[in-house]
Amino acid sequence: MLQDIQSDGAPTPANFPAISTANLTRRFGELVAVNDVNLQVAPGQFFGFLGPNGAGKSTTIKMLTGLLAPTSGRIEILGLDFADRTAEVKRQIGVVPEGLALFGRLTGAEYLTFVGRMYGLDRETTAKRTAELLEFMQLANEPRKLVTDYSHGMQKKLALAAAVIHGPKILFLDEPFEGVDAIAAGTLKTMLQRMIARGATIFLTSHVLEIVERLCSHVAIIDRGTLVAQGSLEELRAGVESQAQGASEGGPGSKLTLEEIFLHTVGGSRSAEQELSWLG
Amino acid sequence: MAGVAESYEPRTQLAAIATVRWQIFLHSLRSKRGALELFSRIVIGAVITCGGLGGAILLGVSAWYFVAHGKPEALALLLWPVFLFWQMFPLMATALSESIDSTNLLRFPLSYRTYVMVRLVYGALDPATVLGSFWLVGITLGIGWARPGLMPWAFVVLLVFAAVNMMLTQMIFAWVERWIGQRRTREIFAVLFFLAMISLQLIGPMLSRYGDRSNAAFHWAGRFANPIQAVLPPGIAAGAVASKAASHTALAFVFLGALVLYAVVILRVLSVRLHAQFRGENLSEVVGPGGGAATRPLVRLAWNIPGLSQEAAAVIEKEFRYLSRSGPVLLTFVTPIVMLFVFGLGGRSGSGAGFLQNWPELSLPVGAAYALLLLTNLIYNNFGPDAGGIQFFLVSPASFRSVMIGKNIAHMGVLAVELVALWIGVCLLFRPPTATALLITLSGLLFAAPVNLAAGNLLSLYSPKKTEFGTFGRQRASQTTVLASFAIQGVVFGVAATNLLLARNYGQQWLAVAGFFALSVLAFAFYFFVLKRLDRLARRRREVLTTELCK
Repeated sequence: MLQDIQSDGAPTPANFPAISTANLTRRFGELVAVNDVNLQVAPGQFFGFLGPNGAGKSTTIKMLTGLLAPTSGRIEILGLDFADRTAEVKRQIGVVPEGLALFGRLTGAEYLTFVGRMYGLDRETTAKRTAELLEFMQLANEPRKLVTDYSHGMQKKLALAAAVIHGPKILFLDEPFEGVDAIAAGTLKTMLQRMIARGATIFLTSHVLEIVERLCSHVAIIDRGTLVAQGSLEELRAGVESQAQGASEGGPGSKLTLEEIFLHTVGGSRSAEQELSWLG
Repeated sequence: MAGVAESYEPRTQLAAIATVRWQIFLHSLRSKRGALELFSRIVIGAVITCGGLGGAILLGVSAWYFVAHGKPEALALLLWPVFLFWQMFPLMATALSESIDSTNLLRFPLSYRTYVMVRLVYGALDPATVLGSFWLVGITLGIGWARPGLMPWAFVVLLVFAAVNMMLTQMIFAWVERWIGQRRTREIFAVLFFLAMISLQLIGPMLSRYGDRSNAAFHWAGRFANPIQAVLPPGIAAGAVASKAASHTALAFVFLGALVLYAVVILRVLSVRLHAQFRGENLSEVVGPGGGAATRPLVRLAWNIPGLSQEAAAVIEKEFRYLSRSGPVLLTFVTPIVMLFVFGLGGRSGSGAGFLQNWPELSLPVGAAYALLLLTNLIYNNFGPDAGGIQFFLVSPASFRSVMIGKNIAHMGVLAVELVALWIGVCLLFRPPTATALLITLSGLLFAAPVNLAAGNLLSLYSPKKTEFGTFGRQRASQTTVLASFAIQGVVFGVAATNLLLARNYGQQWLAVAGFFALSVLAFAFYFFVLKRLDRLARRRREVLTTELCK
């Protein structure tokens, strides 16, 4: 199953990062949503992009996938300049955007067929992959159901299926586990791990830090538009521990969790008693 | 939740809804696009006001004439056109409909009464309601001018008549949406619709058949129709005013009571639909457990259209699947054929005949022009039904040029089907169009279609608006698009009319065909000029596209 769905075409040259940004900036009027971000994601990495609400995660991923134009800076995907070679880059990436980008009045099979054709797959390959993906994602049981009538979890699975149908080398996922039940999340994770095992690069944003910690090998943290940390989990952990000198975060001998690293990095903590006393 | 003063008072909630709409309006002015929308709204509002005032004056003078000359029962002749306009206009010009989808308010603790009030208030914002109200005010003033003592009574009667009209429009929309919302009811509706069309078709031949006894037939028809119209809202309203004018106060109250009864019944029937919506009805085409029990996915090979890129072919396939699942849009497509029947009604040529009976040569070009005009609802907002799907087009490697070509071909395919249907209709109802009429129609479309497609491709990027194919009415078009549409149609029809008049002036109809062919060269040049620039424009407009369509 899913044997066809892996990175097509020539292998990525090892000397090119899968994703690279230089001074990536995006302004909305006065607001600097993303400020001078320099990201480096190596091929084959499972990369988690974290940050508090409004930090600039979605704005960054939108720029990396062509949904939003940067105000300044440069994006390179697999060594190709995104601005100059847009179509070439888009052929090699798969995207599950925040809004899922679905067409509600098609069935799941029709939608995947449409996506396959738009990515240049021939008719037979499109049909074969569509059938395999629907089966794998457990969406094959209601073939006449329109996408608009799918549950949120089903829509997420369909969006992921659409993002991988052409065998992308890089997969961008904006909050893939939000609103998804444990069964659907398990299916998604299985697929993502298979893709990583076959050499694809995955870039995801998520608020579910446990999942990021379990899946991702590398992480970047953005706060108020600025990249404040980037590296492997071990590197980030070592950085925090050296700053805190093994003081309060984590007990002696216990490893810091990603949540602790994240909170230490963005400085977020809230006294539970300070507000909303009327909630009872 | 101690200390909370919870209030579910309808007044509070209505005030909150009005406030939030006002705030949304103010915030919309922050962008250039919002300001342009406001400008467009003002211009369209001015046009509607002019139409309203002009109609009000005309109807007011007519009402004065009828009442002053002792024929108040003839007010029915004025109220029937108002009534028909009020009910037909929203169907014929959906882009101008101002009704707003209020079902998204259902997540709040809204009482059913408040929900109904919101729906009715939103309904009052429809241009048909505004124009109709203007005209009824004109009639009221005309009556008052002729007989001042009759004015208060006329005011009350026409106020109830206005309420009947307003609720009836909403009732029709709500029920048609229900009937065409699901496949089975849609099929039943389609069968009934075509039976009605066939019945209408019989009227013309029957009148022709008994043409030698036309006077008697018309008198008989008049005698037959008059009692029927008298018990329908326009007739009853006219009867109420006429009875009061004749000092038959009791009878006048009976008429008014009947009108109120109509209002109550219509509200009750509307209420059945509103209640279903209030309870969270979903008109989707979900197949029940028995209906969709197939265990294997329904995967078919994608369409292969020779001569087209596979991206364009995929978009055409997707468009046809979307259109085939949208009852409301399909209903829009048959409207030109309905209009053909309506304007073709009547007996032989002459004063009693329908407009197209007198000029059957115009039936095909007029029908084709109307079909293209209705299609602009889709053409001018290509990505509206795709909604969040626009993100897919932006992240996929397919060019916007291919996407637009696919959409344009799909829409022209619809137009071609409509043309064939119109041709059949014209043949059945009048006589087969002459070769000249056919050539003029086709060459005219060769000019008008590329202009509209090019303009539509631009407007789809510059003023996109999310639309839902599954609902009937309750959609609001971008006012910028509506205004631009007026301007474009003005130019297209102006140029076409000039071309036709010149040919007529020289007495050579083939000149019109040649003129249209020459114009079509320019039109196609314009189309390809725009097409070439679509990718760049789409990249520049991607934020507006995602912001508007992913709401």
